[in-house]
Amino acid sequence: MNRLEGHISGIEVSGGMSLVTVRLTEQLSLRAIVIETPDTAPYLVHGRKIQLMFKETEVVIGTREDLPVSLQNSIKGLLQSVETGTLLSRLQIETEVGPISSVISSNSVERLGLRENSEVYAMVKLNEMMLSE
Amino acid sequence: MISMDVQKRLMGADGPMELDIQLQLEQGQFATLYGPSGAGKTSTLRVLAGLMKPDKGHVTVYGEPWFDAQKNIHRPPGERGIGFVFQDYALFPHMTILQNLQFALGKGQNSDIVNRLMEITALEGLRDRKPPELSGGQQQRVALARALVQQPKLLLLDEPLAALDLETRLTLQDYLFELHREFGLTTLLISHDVGEIMKLSGLVFQLADGRIAKKGPPGDIFLPKRVSGKFQFTGEVLKIEREEVVYVLTIRIQNTVVKVVAGEAEVRSLQVGDKVLVASKAFNPILYKL
Amino acid sequence: MMDWQPLLLTFELATVTTAFLLLLGIPLAYWLSVTRSRVKPLVETLVSMPLVLPPTVLGFYFLIAFSPGNAFGHWLNDWLGLKLVFSFGGLVLASVIYSLPFMVHPIQSGLSGLPASLGEAAGLMGKSRFTILRKVLLPNIKTSLLTGIVLSFAHTVGEFGVVLMIGGNIPGKTRVASIAIYDEVEALNYGAANFYSIVLFLITFCILLLVYLVNGGYLKKFWR
Repeated sequence: MNRLEGHISGIEVSGGMSLVTVRLTEQLSLRAIVIETPDTAPYLVHGRKIQLMFKETEVVIGTREDLPVSLQNSIKGLLQSVETGTLLSRLQIETEVGPISSVISSNSVERLGLRENSEVYAMVKLNEMMLSE
Repeated sequence: MISMDVQKRLMGADGPMELDIQLQLEQGQFATLYGPSGAGKTSTLRVLAGLMKPDKGHVTVYGEPWFDAQKNIHRPPGERGIGFVFQDYALFPHMTILQNLQFALGKGQNSDIVNRLMEITALEGLRDRKPPELSGGQQQRVALARALVQQPKLLLLDEPLAALDLETRLTLQDYLFELHREFGLTTLLISHDVGEIMKLSGLVFQLADGRIAKKGPPGDIFLPKRVSGKFQFTGEVLKIEREEVVYVLTIRIQNTVVKVVAGEAEVRSLQVGDKVLVASKAFNPILYKL
Repeated sequence: MMDWQPLLLTFELATVTTAFLLLLGIPLAYWLSVTRSRVKPLVETLVSMPLVLPPTVLGFYFLIAFSPGNAFGHWLNDWLGLKLVFSFGGLVLASVIYSLPFMVHPIQSGLSGLPASLGEAAGLMGKSRFTILRKVLLPNIKTSLLTGIVLSFAHTVGEFGVVLMIGGNIPGKTRVASIAIYDEVEALNYGAANFYSIVLFLITFCILLLVYLVNGGYLKKFWR
């Protein structure tokens, strides 16, 4: 599981759901969608310190920033290590907001030519982001 | 509404201890006393039942004083209308199961309730057996049924399921919950099992050193932090296996066993038997109509 | 023709004494098993005294106390019509006190050995102390009760000193077997002494054997 810390900088509510923007640095904000509203979840407050949690198996790896994909949560980093198994590989990525790990297929590691010190983009769908106080 | 505010000096295992308990229970509530042994859980239950007399304070139940140190009121246990399940079951060994239940009948009480309770707790087949011939789970069912014969308003259970194996415990939890609802009971349970508390209880009093250290819904007490995942359960780790670069954990959630993939960082702090929160986003599960 | 009377008297005395001891011993043992009173050690000591005192001490004080020449004995005699010295009634009273620990100790330890929750559970059902004792506690200490009954009985059968002191040797009234044996030996009548002795030996042997068999579970299928 990956855990990043930031502050809530925006909450868009519609019905019972909220799209929450969390600012990690000046340049980097990530978004999460939750089935909560500020009425039901006391931690949904502008400016509140919050943790974003997402599973390493949900982290998509890209090698370029401007890929035509729907994912908006994208964090640039340097590949620290690659642990390769027969089917799956674990990547450790160093980013400006902390380490992130990702588990992708070993086949993809090969296809993308990933190795230590490659520049990568770790991407997570906003519905895979969990919030925690 | 049940309200108690009592103080009593106890001789604990580690010397004297001051029991100082304030708690309120609403009618129909299922509450749990949780905490390390020696924290005063059993004493709290015994004070409520009248088996132990506090030094100071009061116990008031539905407006009636059961104990009042100042007015020198101490209603005897038998006049409190309480169902009590002891940790050792306290079944009468020389009586059959049926006789155990019948003995519990009040003066002039209709004995239909005995048959009904035997039916609910599936004891009919054991009616002519004696307690020492029964398994722990069966004895516990008898104890539960017997405690309800006089149709008490308040049911007190002193760690009733602790000595039972997992499967029996789960079945008894179901019986307990069903009886709680069916008889409109106010129930106060002592339990160490977080899974059990989460499943049964709406309110937890966490005791430490003779005081209530924390109270609230079990979610607030036991979940370390509030997590937004809507798909949340507490479970118990049964097995941890490494599969290539990830770990696969086998986890029991109530009476189902599931598998969850986890990373090294999470597994490092875990071992078999640990209680865990299993959470996912509500977006992930898929549903099939059965 | 042997004189059976001393033997019959012995067993009559033992039976009556045991019956009184049951009535007295059960409540006393129950009280001792539940009380937190400060006088408990004192009562326990008094109950146990006959275990260590020579029976003659007890007999001597009974003799003094019940003697009609003394104020208490006089009062008993005048008001209750009780003459306790050299009478069967006096023997029973002295025997009850003398055998008290043999009844109280087994019952007390039986009751203390039961889980407190049994009595508490019945108490929570609104049952009276008497009902709890009769229907819940006593049925679960049957072996202790049996032990108490048999030990008291056997002990009364075997008693000598107390009887000698306050009962004397009145045939048909206070001349029990143990006294008769002593008497016959004094008279060098060894045949009669042997007869009483062997009957006492056999009967008490059988009684005690029965207790050990029952309490050891050897007769379980008959006892239940």
